[in-house]
Amino acid sequence: MSDFLKRLFNGQSGQPEGGGEQDAIPKEPFSEVLDVNTKRFEDLFQYPLNSALKQRELQIPSVDRRAMVLFVDGASDSDKIAKQVIQPLLELKPKPGGESVDHLVDELKNNVLTISGRETIGDLNQAVAKLINGSAILLIDGEKQAIAVETAGFENRSVAEPSREIVIKGPKSAFVESSAINQSLIRRQVKDHRLVSETMTVGSQSPQEISVLYMSHIADPQLVENVKEKISQVDRDAILTLSQMEELLEVRPYSLFPSTMTTERPDRAGSFLLEGHVVLLMDNSPDALIAPITFWSLYHTAEDQFLRWAYGNFARIIRLCALFFSLLMPAIYLAVVTFHPEMIPTDLMLAIAASRERVPFPTLLELLLLELTFEILREAGIRVPTPLGTTIGIVGALILGQAAVQANLVSPLLVVVIAITGLSSFAIPDVGLSVMTRILRFTFVLSAHLMGFVGIALTFAVMLAYATSIKSFGVPFFAPLAPHMPSSRDLFLRPIVRKQWLRPLSMKPRNAVRAKPEGGDRP
Amino acid sequence: MRRNGWALVGVLAILALAGCGERQELETQAFVSVIGLDQGEQDHQVNVTFQISNPQVNTTQSAEAQKEPPSDIVTITAVDLLSAKELAQSSLSREITFSHLQTIIVGENLAKGDLFSHVIGSAIVDPEMRREAVLIVSKEPAEAFIHANTPTMETRPHKYYEFMEDNWRKTGFSPVSNLNTFFQRTEGELFLAAYATTERDSVGTKHDDEYLAGEVPQASGDPVQMIGSAIMQKGKMVGTLNGEETRISQLLRKKNLIETMTTTFPDPLNENYRISLIMNQSAHTEIKVNTDRTPVKIRVNVPVQVKVNSNIALEDFTTSQKRRDALKNTVKENMEQASDSLIKKLQEEYTGEPFVWYATARKNFWTVEEFEEFDWGEKFKKADVDIDYEVSIVSFGEQLRPPAFKKLKEGK
Repeated sequence: MSDFLKRLFNGQSGQPEGGGEQDAIPKEPFSEVLDVNTKRFEDLFQYPLNSALKQRELQIPSVDRRAMVLFVDGASDSDKIAKQVIQPLLELKPKPGGESVDHLVDELKNNVLTISGRETIGDLNQAVAKLINGSAILLIDGEKQAIAVETAGFENRSVAEPSREIVIKGPKSAFVESSAINQSLIRRQVKDHRLVSETMTVGSQSPQEISVLYMSHIADPQLVENVKEKISQVDRDAILTLSQMEELLEVRPYSLFPSTMTTERPDRAGSFLLEGHVVLLMDNSPDALIAPITFWSLYHTAEDQFLRWAYGNFARIIRLCALFFSLLMPAIYLAVVTFHPEMIPTDLMLAIAASRERVPFPTLLELLLLELTFEILREAGIRVPTPLGTTIGIVGALILGQAAVQANLVSPLLVVVIAITGLSSFAIPDVGLSVMTRILRFTFVLSAHLMGFVGIALTFAVMLAYATSIKSFGVPFFAPLAPHMPSSRDLFLRPIVRKQWLRPLSMKPRNAVRAKPEGGDRP
Repeated sequence: MRRNGWALVGVLAILALAGCGERQELETQAFVSVIGLDQGEQDHQVNVTFQISNPQVNTTQSAEAQKEPPSDIVTITAVDLLSAKELAQSSLSREITFSHLQTIIVGENLAKGDLFSHVIGSAIVDPEMRREAVLIVSKEPAEAFIHANTPTMETRPHKYYEFMEDNWRKTGFSPVSNLNTFFQRTEGELFLAAYATTERDSVGTKHDDEYLAGEVPQASGDPVQMIGSAIMQKGKMVGTLNGEETRISQLLRKKNLIETMTTTFPDPLNENYRISLIMNQSAHTEIKVNTDRTPVKIRVNVPVQVKVNSNIALEDFTTSQKRRDALKNTVKENMEQASDSLIKKLQEEYTGEPFVWYATARKNFWTVEEFEEFDWGEKFKKADVDIDYEVSIVSFGEQLRPPAFKKLKEGK
């Protein structure tokens, strides 16, 4: 058992590493002979077998040289290649003056190709990286250099409304699977020349670009360095999405408490940038990864700031109640019913006692049964095909609850308790926080079963102690509340926007003041 | 590291399992809502009556048992409450618990004896016992009282007592007190417990609140009457106060627990009629005790507000300051007279007072010993008590003037 656990947590599979070395791309310069170069590409892409690599041979009339345009089917836009690469080459008129054959590649790159993104490359390794990212490679006979032309043409869906972080009032665009579009969405929010977007590459076999965005005049340079170092340390053959990246960046991947979060809202990403956080974007991921985060990032929603002060804070109070209900409600019910019946009003106590009389199980079992059913219902609700989804959700819960009560499997009050708990967990804005409370809820139920209120209090104390001790990229989880640091006090409740003039110092911003001071803490 | 881990798990398990013994499911418990205590046939024995709520009656529709009684009443003779509780288990399938016990009824017989303080004193040791339980003294044996108490409106016994006790705050007929206050006043201070009976004791009609339980002229209706109070001293019943005296004793406290009370006074304008007033207090009663002189001087200033919501003489008070002053004076005089006679009664018959004046007097001493030596109870017997009522009229009801029937009559 312990061996198994050890193996599980160490992640050893027993297999030696480094199986794909024979496929590594040789880092060698191009040859002067066009056919040799072409052959190399064909070998690398396993040409006749693999139909991905497309070739288009042509004769450049003006200099009378053979040339070859290579691109990967599906990754690049063939229309663009035809109109902006091949057509200008074919239409090139010979220059009246002396031909400068020495600078043919530069001449072509600068004066012939009409497309804006182009680059001279000298070796095969670079060329392949460009090819798989959608660029076309122009090889010219007799030249040791090639030109990479940016013709990426991946299919993209258009910017849509967010599906997780829905607001009634406020911007309604969400990130899509294209990093370029996502960056433009953020730039639209934060119009500042100091918004830096650094590009890094992750994945040794199938490299992916990851963009690190931060405000150079706000973000703590050490934090940025820290994040970049973490990214460069990642050693995997391929990383497909940001969610995978999220786990690789985390210090405590086994912890229930998240240390990074994702948002699908460009406006939220923008506001995090302005507080000094680092935002990561990656192709194929319709969200942005925020680091570091605190409890407040998980507890707040975008709408809190969009709504007027009172409305936004009202929503926050409700959400706080929901958080506690979701975490503690079943445990409190269990503790009260089995340990502290004197706490309930006599009428309610008698009603529970009467309905429990015919239930054959102890309260704990009854509670776990219903809780489990609800969790299954929720899981099923996500997987069920959309036309059936709503039916399963509402009808399932109601009918199941009703039937369980009639069959004397559970008492009616418990159905109410579980329903409120379930509803509350939907009110928690962040997926991570929501799942965390769902899991912790079972811990609380167990401790309530063992020791009643004392158990709940002990577990809560342990949980709080742990939560205040952990850090995400050096920022404590409950900062700037505990440990207390100067901030605009946008914590459980938010002050009016005019008083939010100070960035939380827990983020160690280079420039803490947003506006002329008005109320709140002084740094 | 791993050994430490196992040790930790072991400690946690011990910690966690330590609570298991206390756990009990609701349906396995029998919740006692009322306890009755009576003198047993032999000395040092008590008859304990448990009234146990039946959860299946009148609580929830889904578990309704139609033919069962709303409560089960068991009487056990034993030496104390705890052994009676255990003995009752011989006939009862569920485990008896006092966690929802709200009312303790004591037969007058037992309350007047020495045994009562022992029984109730040892009962409070039980951690299940709630100190906010209300103590009621019944004129007849508590067992008979519990059996006879079958209110029409409230099927479940706990609800009846709950509503009844809420009522006291609005009428003042019975003192607002509980077991906790009872145990606070063990040094000779007087404690007032509610007085109740199911018997009828016709004494003819008196002024509205001067009755004791059983004397209220009532035809039909519920059998129980709760009015007046039993005076307890050192855990022993020593006398009774009627409704009026009970009300006044609440008013004379520094902090009045009663919200409003309705009472009648002779109409100052028409001696054939009485006028009904609703009284409440806007500020706390002011008490000043001078312990330096003999006899002790006690000054009490009671601010009361009066509302005229019924005016059977149909006299118009609103137009004349003189008439209003006359009304104020009547109230003041009557209240002061009644208070003085209550004080006189207490000074003559008992040592001590139920108004918590001792707390004010105690402030004049540096140590508790000094105060104990002072012997407040004896000093109070001879004290010079000056009670002053400050009456203000708040309103004359929704309709300012009474209807003009009288004028019509006079006109004819």
